[in-house]
Amino acid sequence: MSKFNIVAATGCPTGIAHTYMAQEALEQAANEAGVQIKVETHGQIGVENALTAEEIKNADAVIIAADKDVHAERFEGKKIIDVSVSRGIKDADALIQQAIDGKGRLMVSTNRNKNSGTQEFNSEESEKTNIGRLIYKHLMNGVSHMLPFVVSGGVLVAVSFLWGIYSADPTNAQYNEFAATLNEVGGLAMGLMVPILSAYIAQSIAQRPGLVVGFVGGLVASNGGTGFLGGIISGFIAGYVIVLLSKMLKGLPIALDGLKAIFLYPVLGVFITGLLMVGLSQPMETINIAMMDFLASFQDSNPVILGLIVGSMSAFDMGGPINKAAYVTGTALLAQGNSYFMAGVSAACIAPPLITGFSVLFFGKYYGKEERNSGFVNFILGSTHITEGAIPFAAKDPLRVIPTLMMGSSIAAILTYLFKVQVPAPHGGFLVLPVVTNGLLWVIAILTGSIIGGFALGMIRKHSAGVLEK
Amino acid sequence: MGIDIRKSIIIDVSALTQQEVFDLISKEAVSNGYADNTALLLKALNEREAEGTTGMMDGFAIPHAKSKTIKEPAMVIFKLTDGVEWNSMDGKKIDFVISLMIPEKEKGTTHLQLLSKVARLLMKNDVKQLLKNANSASEIDSIFTRYITK
Repeated sequence: MSKFNIVAATGCPTGIAHTYMAQEALEQAANEAGVQIKVETHGQIGVENALTAEEIKNADAVIIAADKDVHAERFEGKKIIDVSVSRGIKDADALIQQAIDGKGRLMVSTNRNKNSGTQEFNSEESEKTNIGRLIYKHLMNGVSHMLPFVVSGGVLVAVSFLWGIYSADPTNAQYNEFAATLNEVGGLAMGLMVPILSAYIAQSIAQRPGLVVGFVGGLVASNGGTGFLGGIISGFIAGYVIVLLSKMLKGLPIALDGLKAIFLYPVLGVFITGLLMVGLSQPMETINIAMMDFLASFQDSNPVILGLIVGSMSAFDMGGPINKAAYVTGTALLAQGNSYFMAGVSAACIAPPLITGFSVLFFGKYYGKEERNSGFVNFILGSTHITEGAIPFAAKDPLRVIPTLMMGSSIAAILTYLFKVQVPAPHGGFLVLPVVTNGLLWVIAILTGSIIGGFALGMIRKHSAGVLEK
Repeated sequence: MGIDIRKSIIIDVSALTQQEVFDLISKEAVSNGYADNTALLLKALNEREAEGTTGMMDGFAIPHAKSKTIKEPAMVIFKLTDGVEWNSMDGKKIDFVISLMIPEKEKGTTHLQLLSKVARLLMKNDVKQLLKNANSASEIDSIFTRYITK
């Protein structure tokens, strides 16, 4: 037989230097070890020295040294050593040796063990950070695909309000056909937000089979009123259902592979995930009603307590059952002539996007370009009461971001109640200012909460950026 | 002609910190017309650095920047009098800095390939040794020309 044969792929975000240095290092190391290697590079120029299907098929081992996606799914059924590009540069000799020794994780139908290669000889470096990073990667994939839906939908809806906040309602005097169309199209785009989030979380975990299942699961979550938190859950469930299925179906003969991809994964995956999500969505209505009862019992309590509750509820799930409970209670009380309560709810719904906006304004350098831009768009979305703008930020790091948003929203709501602001409209954000009593104070209340929240969010971001760099 | 790319090589540069090196690189690049704006270039260098260290092994670093302020692909090469801390891969201080300037919209691939080739060179022990021993700008220039055209 010929020499031991390795194929490798290298890549880094800039694609100018590290990608090629890793290539060089691996080639040198292979040369010294007397084995054959072909290294594909994913650089700025594009993919060079591309591996053919034939070469992959004939390879005895695969090394991936990349900080970007190099299409690892091609290597299904191969032993893979998967490390960062810098390890490819630094430890090329060791990686080649590990490949020869047959180390590396066997790749089965999904790349869920993206970092498993690293884990094997790096296990001391705490598996925890790897799992954390993995979860983050899946979340990020969902969020980055969701973002344009939020922005496009949110901005169109916001623009439709320029004709008046009731412009989409045919029975209202403000009705305008074009505005109504904008509102509808924007609403549809925003409605896809949760399914897309779920779909691409699942896709990150389990590639294409995950996408399908995650999409459907997300739609179930969305229709079930679970909000974006439900979408995150359904994305992870969908992804791991496929991973589990691929394990269970491993015994099937290879001849049935086609059947798996086109039939078994989608059908079984959608069935299982769909049922789970329907089950999870069931209690949502109950939660929603219970929260409304709870809230109604506080409507006359002191402004600080009421503001704290309303603020926390509104910012907690931004469109989920808890937020809806606050909002619906607000509109119900509005119908009864209480326009104080709604003022706090609106303030708390306007604050979260503004918080993210101020955060990127103050702490821009800790955010990526995409995030900075969407943060600035959030000034528009926040000003028009489109709370969803904050979701992409919250979804990336819910455990830290959501409490911060809750705090900022609470401050905004508490001040609103203290200032005795009255807002007689259920929506529209700052566009309804002309009809707001104590409008200036209301704006001050909201900005105060948003700026404090934005500052806190930025500090958290700064801190976690410091940790990541390590 | 050897490397069809503009470059500025300076030896015996003294700097105490990585930031100071970046600062010098930016000024050098602007004064040679590779870039328009030192502040933007500095920012691009720092942004790249934040994604992961460019400090490699054996004292070599390859900071690079891609920015719209950069007018043409170019290299700024410094040999430092003393090593500076760079959070490098092997933990050693950096005393040889090869910075690559990449325009935001580089049309041709030729220059990008050249820059990548430079990066590859830094993995070769013989080249590294030659560069370390070189003590004039023209010597360094000829090493690059020799190996890259090869």
